[in-house]
Amino acid sequence: MTSDRTGDVPVIELRHVDKHFGDLHVLRDINLAVARGEVLVVIGPSGSGKSTLCRTINRLETIDSGEVLIEGKPLPLEGRELAAMRAELGMVFQSFNLFAHKTILENVTLGPVDVLGMDKAEARARAMELLERVGVAEQADKVPAQLSGGQQQRVAIARSLAMHPKAMLFDEPTSALDPEMINEVLDVMVELARGGMTMVVVTHEMSFARRVADRVVFMADGQIVEEGAPDAFFDHPRTQRARDFLDSIRGH
Amino acid sequence: MGISELLSTYGGDYLSALVTTWWMTAVSFAFVMVLSVAITVMRVSPLKPLRLAGDFYVQVFRNIPGVALLVIVVYALPNLRVVLDYTTCVIVTTVLMASAFGSENFMSGINTIGVGQIEAARSLGLTFTQIISKIVIPQALRSAVLPMTNLLIAVMLTTALGSQVPMNPEELTGIVSYINTRSTGGVLAFLIAALGYVGTAAVISLVGNRLDKKVRILR
Repeated sequence: MTSDRTGDVPVIELRHVDKHFGDLHVLRDINLAVARGEVLVVIGPSGSGKSTLCRTINRLETIDSGEVLIEGKPLPLEGRELAAMRAELGMVFQSFNLFAHKTILENVTLGPVDVLGMDKAEARARAMELLERVGVAEQADKVPAQLSGGQQQRVAIARSLAMHPKAMLFDEPTSALDPEMINEVLDVMVELARGGMTMVVVTHEMSFARRVADRVVFMADGQIVEEGAPDAFFDHPRTQRARDFLDSIRGH
Repeated sequence: MGISELLSTYGGDYLSALVTTWWMTAVSFAFVMVLSVAITVMRVSPLKPLRLAGDFYVQVFRNIPGVALLVIVVYALPNLRVVLDYTTCVIVTTVLMASAFGSENFMSGINTIGVGQIEAARSLGLTFTQIISKIVIPQALRSAVLPMTNLLIAVMLTTALGSQVPMNPEELTGIVSYINTRSTGGVLAFLIAALGYVGTAAVISLVGNRLDKKVRILR
């Protein structure tokens, strides 16, 4: 693991994390560390707990036991401390979740102005730069419903980036997109990864994983079944579960 | 008495009654909006006692007949050493009742927002108060325009409770009782008052529809 090599504290670390939804044991003794600049891709069949795992990192899902550490500090359980910690982690959702009553520009400036206390004019200027970077600057004054899914997702990425996050969490960012829009979102993510962003990406996009992932984690039934470098994992999965899963998504 | 005679004798009284109904409606509705927002915030708060209290409020005041509540306000509050004049009693009754419905309107507005936007706001680091004030209330207000238009009309009609207590000046229903105890206006006396209600309601609907088109959130 990169963190061992550099001796750095991992940006994100999960220790012995367990979670149940009623009788369902969705996370079983999850141990995971993400080093600075690392791109971690989490894959697995639906219901394997990969989204839940992603959501426990900023406590959108609570955990039953174990620890979540951000830069070595335990994630606060609630209140302002938790809000402050969440502000340092970007999150991109499957369904974009842009604020429907605000313009694209306002979506991106809301966090910097209201959470970080940034000056409005400065926040607008920075937001325009980010919108430019993800290629939707000309849509700045529209509302989310006027944009395509791919555009909305790129705005959502810009909204997270505006907070200068220590790491970005992507929870199936392309699963709700029409096929022709997937690449425009992946391209932005590739660029981010190449820029050194620490990323946890829950996705089925194997080409993306091969191009930019430092490590792939395969989950099934709430457990991490296998992990490794992307080429090794995709070409020579060690477990039967992983082989079955890869066969099923490749469609032979 | 014919219409012309009614109007020539009581025209001024009708006019002042209409104005009384208008201002009682406006004042009541302003308080209704404030109280509805407050109760709704309680009902979505993370604190269970607040949620229960908010739900309890709605269940109680949505299910009491207006006249019964007015009787309670007029006769029971003085026992708590709160003595209000009759007009204020009518307004308080109207506000208490209508706020229960107003909160329901906001709740259905909130339900259209979707948990995703709330999660996005949380993950940006917004606090509960910020999420409520920046994301939830603005959207709930904007998607509640049409039901609130209906509620405004209902508030206006509820101020007719003023006819059950002595008021000076009378409101639009009270003036009809006043007239019918002194002359034989019959149904005609009511008809004139009804025109005042219907005309006002028509204007409220028109404005409400325009406002809704302007602020409606694209989804």
